[in-house]
Amino acid sequence: MDSSLIIELAINGALIGLMYALVALGIVLIYKTSGLANLAQGAIAMTGAYVTWAIAYGVGAPIWLAIPLALVLMFGVGMLIERLALRRMIGQPVIMAIMLTLGIEIMLRGLLPGMFGSAVKRLDIGIPQAPLFVGDFLINRATLIGGSVSLLVILLSLVFFNSRYGVVMRAVSDDQTASWSVGIRVERAIAIAWGLAAVTAASAGILWGANQGVDWSLSLLLIKALAIAILGGLDSIVGVLIAGLIVGVVESVATGLIDPLVGGGTRDIAASVIILLTLLVKPHGLFGREHIERV
Amino acid sequence: MKLNRRRFLAATAATLTMPATIDFASAEEKVIRFAMPQDFTRVYTFVTAEYSQGQRDYITLVNERGGINGYRIIADVSDHGNDLPRAIEAYEKAKREGAVLIDPLSTPVARALVPRALEDKINMVTAFSGRSDAADGTAFPYVLPLSPNYWTQAGLLVDYFRQQDKDLKGKKIVFVHIDTPFGREPLPILQVLSQKLGFEFQAFPYTPPGNDQSAIWPQVRRARPDWVMFWGAGVGQTVAMSEAVRNGLPMDRVCSSVWLSESDMDVIGREQVKGVLKVEPCVSGKDPKPVQAIINEVVSKGKGAGPENKVGTSYYNYGVMMGAIMIEGVKKAFERNPGGPITGLWLNEGLRSITNFTAEGMIPPMTVTKEDHQGGGGGRIARWDGTKFVPATDWFAANQDVVWAEIRKSSEEFRKSGK
Amino acid sequence: MLYRRAGLRHTRYEDERQLWPLQFDRGLVVLVLVVLVAAPLLVNRLYLVSYLLPWVIWSTAALGLNLLMGGAGQIHLGYGAVMAMGAYGSVHLVRAGVPFEFAMVGGGLISACVGIVFGGAALRVQGLYLAMATLAMQYVVDFVISHVPMISGGTQATIQVPTVRFLGIPVAGDLPTYYVALIICAIVTVFILNVGRTSLGRALAAVREKDYAAEIIGVNTFKFKLLAFWISSFIGGVAGSVLAVCYLRAISPDQFHIELSIQLVAMVIVGGLGSVLGSFFGAALILFAPIVLNNLIGGIADGLGLSISTDLRSHVPLMLYGALIIGFLLWEPLGLAKIYNNVRNYFFVWPFRHAQR
Repeated sequence: MDSSLIIELAINGALIGLMYALVALGIVLIYKTSGLANLAQGAIAMTGAYVTWAIAYGVGAPIWLAIPLALVLMFGVGMLIERLALRRMIGQPVIMAIMLTLGIEIMLRGLLPGMFGSAVKRLDIGIPQAPLFVGDFLINRATLIGGSVSLLVILLSLVFFNSRYGVVMRAVSDDQTASWSVGIRVERAIAIAWGLAAVTAASAGILWGANQGVDWSLSLLLIKALAIAILGGLDSIVGVLIAGLIVGVVESVATGLIDPLVGGGTRDIAASVIILLTLLVKPHGLFGREHIERV
Repeated sequence: MKLNRRRFLAATAATLTMPATIDFASAEEKVIRFAMPQDFTRVYTFVTAEYSQGQRDYITLVNERGGINGYRIIADVSDHGNDLPRAIEAYEKAKREGAVLIDPLSTPVARALVPRALEDKINMVTAFSGRSDAADGTAFPYVLPLSPNYWTQAGLLVDYFRQQDKDLKGKKIVFVHIDTPFGREPLPILQVLSQKLGFEFQAFPYTPPGNDQSAIWPQVRRARPDWVMFWGAGVGQTVAMSEAVRNGLPMDRVCSSVWLSESDMDVIGREQVKGVLKVEPCVSGKDPKPVQAIINEVVSKGKGAGPENKVGTSYYNYGVMMGAIMIEGVKKAFERNPGGPITGLWLNEGLRSITNFTAEGMIPPMTVTKEDHQGGGGGRIARWDGTKFVPATDWFAANQDVVWAEIRKSSEEFRKSGK
Repeated sequence: MLYRRAGLRHTRYEDERQLWPLQFDRGLVVLVLVVLVAAPLLVNRLYLVSYLLPWVIWSTAALGLNLLMGGAGQIHLGYGAVMAMGAYGSVHLVRAGVPFEFAMVGGGLISACVGIVFGGAALRVQGLYLAMATLAMQYVVDFVISHVPMISGGTQATIQVPTVRFLGIPVAGDLPTYYVALIICAIVTVFILNVGRTSLGRALAAVREKDYAAEIIGVNTFKFKLLAFWISSFIGGVAGSVLAVCYLRAISPDQFHIELSIQLVAMVIVGGLGSVLGSFFGAALILFAPIVLNNLIGGIADGLGLSISTDLRSHVPLMLYGALIIGFLLWEPLGLAKIYNNVRNYFFVWPFRHAQR
């Protein structure tokens, strides 16, 4: 097996992994503040892509205007979802809230293609298709840009969590009651977390939509994002970054190495096997914090 | 009005118990029912909307011209979302309403409905999908592909390569496919042909739905193939093509099955993929006579079933093609048994006696017989020139001996063991 | 007036422990049984085959899942894979010549043994993590089934189910398939109704509430969780085999996908966690909502003469279905069974409503 193939697969895999990590970032943000896994994250990414498409092609705005506008809109959408749906679920067991996000996912999957048409749509953000060769390795230009944007956003969110408001949000994720008692506006922090998660999902949706075209299958990004979030630890942003790289590289290299032996499709279960191994060996992920439950 | 619990529950109960269906026609009218439950929302979204539009427009055209022998054709279109309980419910409803033909346009649904269609004697048309071995009419009397199946398409492509290269010995053909039964179908044919014609064959499966093929195409590039075939659907096709472009593969050596259309080209960029090839079962564009007739008599009068800019696209024309074949079956059925009664058996006789039908020049001459439900397996290769698909060859059929050997193998197993 | 509670004086323990101490409840149960058994005579064939039959089969599966989710409090997002294993296991056994009764049990055993492997792996974690592990199980089982041609049936990847005999009667046609499904459903229902009254049910309840507290008072959490997984997967496997033989008649790997798992979880939650009646109601709602909404939208569009694009028309049921799930979770999180209970409580003292506490 040739090492230059493996290196090339690894590089491309790392970049793709970073693009998946962008979706996972949103899941981690929501888990940190609300304590539940948002299974609608993929659908929100799809919504972001559709909204951008609608602004750019439906209304005719240029793409550099459409993207920020769409991101602002999606921030609002995230806050709206939290306000209308999740706030009523506060006392309920977590499985109910997860089921609610599943319901939201189904609804969005029906609403967006229904409104805008179910055929695949083009979303052009100006990335040329020409191949980019570094020595003997081909770097996919679109994934390079996508990966760099994700890296940037993840680093930005790390910086944000060290800023003043970031400390507020970390307090809320630690203990909501204690935060209330020191005067922190918990509802606002949670709403902002949801808004930010929607924005990251939307940017991931735009990047992936530019790659493959905008249609309902963008909501399938969820599974990979969940694998990354679990591997990295559901409440750690650094974990998302590292886990994204790991999952991306493992998947790509597995496709190159193991597929010829098994006859294909190992990419499928690479994510599932990673989840299972993580849960067996280190249930809270690489960087996650253990929950200590008290009677 | 405050939306509280009681009002929500009352509204839900009221909505769900409202009368469920409204019948379109009373039983005494002269109608022939075609049931078309298809997947508009789940997996086949890329093709169903346009395909159904083409089918319905053609049927509207026929009805506008007075129907066949005074009988109106009714197309019952609904959505089964690739979900089997809904598909079975739609089938049972169609049966109750007296449909004589059903077109599910979905491979898993078609496979699940095969035992029922055979038992209830309702004609199931599985265009470009379903069981490839249903081309054997003796084992599957009521399942009619009426279109080149995937084995035939693979055979056509390999023969095209042979025509271009004169001799395939020592050449390398790479087959990138989606890792589902649909994607894996051509593999046996390709393996037999590789032994027969002497070319080297390598397969690269990718995970469905195929939005991430970044690990596959570098390997394809390194294999330095002479010809590349990609076999996917919807998003898998667009990503495959963009990855091929990004890896610097020459587009005029890259080809696909029938599932490629102008909207896919739009997503990647029309100029980018100039030269890519595909299998064409019918003439594309607005030129064919049936499409012209539709434009003049149906769409211009506002009776079209969908947006006007989709008329003449590839999938739209597939729909028109299938509609035309079904209507031809009705005509032949009337010729054989003019008195009716309109049943599945009656239509079956008609469909199986279609001879040399060209749909006014839109498809290669197609003959359906009791043994051959495929219709001869004719098609041609078309090339994308940046704005539309232009034919690269004439209508031809190729490697049918290999294809039929495979068909018979499968259908024998079905006959023996009910597999 | 309807639910006569006056004069009920039990003198034996058995009388006190009845499932339905009130006469009216017993009457309702008998009525439902009679209607279900006589259904082929009462309803149109269409309704029997496309509504009643899948409802009975899906309710059986929902009951199995409800034991795990409502009884033991574990989340299982991979129940579709469990049913798949049962279906494939039993169909292969039947094709190999094993009688259907044993093949059904065999399918259930296969599901149970594989299910317990994944369940065991996931028992170190709780809640969300368990859900992810079972989700991973769904994908792995899917992968194995579709990639091993011996299991999935070669290039056509569809296996036809041959006609089988159940207790001597060939299972083909509408009536025998319906009755087979009904019998299995009845057995499973009786089992689940009584599980709660046994020590197993009480142990599961303790584990559900707070598992470390249960451990402290001496309930072996690990053993009971595994047992819950085993029983639930067994029921799922049996339901899968009934599904394959009576309803689908030709199985392929893409029929038991993640959507099915999510549907089943939705059925259990919307129906009401832990309630037998809830499983039936939930199965009915989730199964029929898309179909009914489809017909409804189609009817409205044609009746009012609106020409909505087919795209929109076919997506509206999906939207409404999602909205329905959201609505139920927001406004009645305890599910349809709670609604039934509310209605029943209302009628307890009707027409003397002022007596209601």
